[in-house]
Amino acid sequence: MPLNINWQQILLHLLNLVILIVGLYLILYKPVKKFMKKREDAYKEREENTRAALDSAKAKEEEYNSRLAGVEEEVSRKREEAAKELDDVRSEKLKQVAKEADDMLGAARERAQKEHDRIINGVSDDIKEIVGEAAEKVVMTSSVNDAYEQFLSAAESGAKSAHAGRKKTVTSMSKTDKKGGARKKK
Amino acid sequence: MKSRTKKIIGWSVVALIVVALVVGIILTDGMYTSSEDISDVMQDAVLHEENQVSIFGYNVNPGLVSAFVVTIILLAAAALIRIFAIPRFRLVPGKFQLAVESIVGWFDKLAKTNSPHRNSFLGAYIFGAGCYIFAGTLFELIGAAVVSTAGNSVALPAPLSDINGAIAMGFLSYFVILSGGIVSNGMRGVGRTLKDFSLPISMSFRLFGALLSGLLVTELVYYYIALSFVLPVIVGVLFTLLHALIQTYVLVMLTSLFYGEVSESHVKVPKEKKKKAKAVKVKQ
Repeated sequence: MPLNINWQQILLHLLNLVILIVGLYLILYKPVKKFMKKREDAYKEREENTRAALDSAKAKEEEYNSRLAGVEEEVSRKREEAAKELDDVRSEKLKQVAKEADDMLGAARERAQKEHDRIINGVSDDIKEIVGEAAEKVVMTSSVNDAYEQFLSAAESGAKSAHAGRKKTVTSMSKTDKKGGARKKK
Repeated sequence: MKSRTKKIIGWSVVALIVVALVVGIILTDGMYTSSEDISDVMQDAVLHEENQVSIFGYNVNPGLVSAFVVTIILLAAAALIRIFAIPRFRLVPGKFQLAVESIVGWFDKLAKTNSPHRNSFLGAYIFGAGCYIFAGTLFELIGAAVVSTAGNSVALPAPLSDINGAIAMGFLSYFVILSGGIVSNGMRGVGRTLKDFSLPISMSFRLFGALLSGLLVTELVYYYIALSFVLPVIVGVLFTLLHALIQTYVLVMLTSLFYGEVSESHVKVPKEKKKKAKAVKVKQ
């Protein structure tokens, strides 16, 4: 063969090459690639885990934000309700106080009317008695003028006595009240 | 103080090297030439007709022996890495782990970039082939010597500087490309691969030519012993490193490109569209 080409030696070279390539593949290339793939997968897994953690953190943040907004609404609603309730209570109390004041005023008025009536009634009885006495005296006197004069003087004296009597009555009433108040105090 | 000590050590080393070189030149015959003629040496470097090596009774080229040695070294290194280094790999890599992962990752990425449809087998193949070409090319730097059948001492060359090794590599790459075409597209893939029938020859002879040129330059330099000082540092180490990288890159890149081309899935074009396209062409 030209150039000393020898088929036997070519085949020997081929066999040598095949053994070398298969050997290098099995001993070195495959294990190193396997390790590199394993590391790549490990880093991918880490990346995915980190991404998932970030996503979940973001979702939680959104959830908390929405919750926070709800809480603020709830707080403002509660505040409004409390203010409304306070207004109701205040107006109720005011009504109650006004009613109590009315009642007290009414009772005081009634009591004052009763006292007024009683005093008036007492005075008219005295007048009736004076008139009756005067009439008896008139009948008993002979002349009209005398009688008239007597009536007038009697009326005057009657009026004075009536005034004194009323004073006495008022004084006695005030004494009674004082005594009642003292009792009450006791 | 420290910088002064460093300076003294550095200059001492340089002086020792110069003295050693001068002593070497004086003690050896500067004008020594091999008993073989230079044309015979270079012809034998290409054809290996005279200096063959005997293995198990078979006379083979020294390149085949180099191929076996390189394979053993690579497999042993891989086994050591597999046993001692890979079980200690960590998620955050150290320097050695980073180097191993970078090499594997580079071949894997190259396969994925050039053949996006099908690349797992391609990645494994170009990893093996790349390691073989790189380590094999650097192997000639060791200069391990064997005795030829003619009784001469022969330095083991790069495996791919042997024409048989280069042909084997070229054809294996072509078969890998063909297999990618068949698995992905069936007979269509075979057609696509056979279309580039010159590929194995071009691949083989490109490798052979590149590595042989390096070998011939080295033979030429070492033929005259006076040239064997200082010059081999540039010719031997730098050129060998450079073309080890280049040849590795070229072969794995070409294999990946052709593999990606033939394994690309075929998209059927509807007949109506075809007819319309033909009509448009006719009008034009």
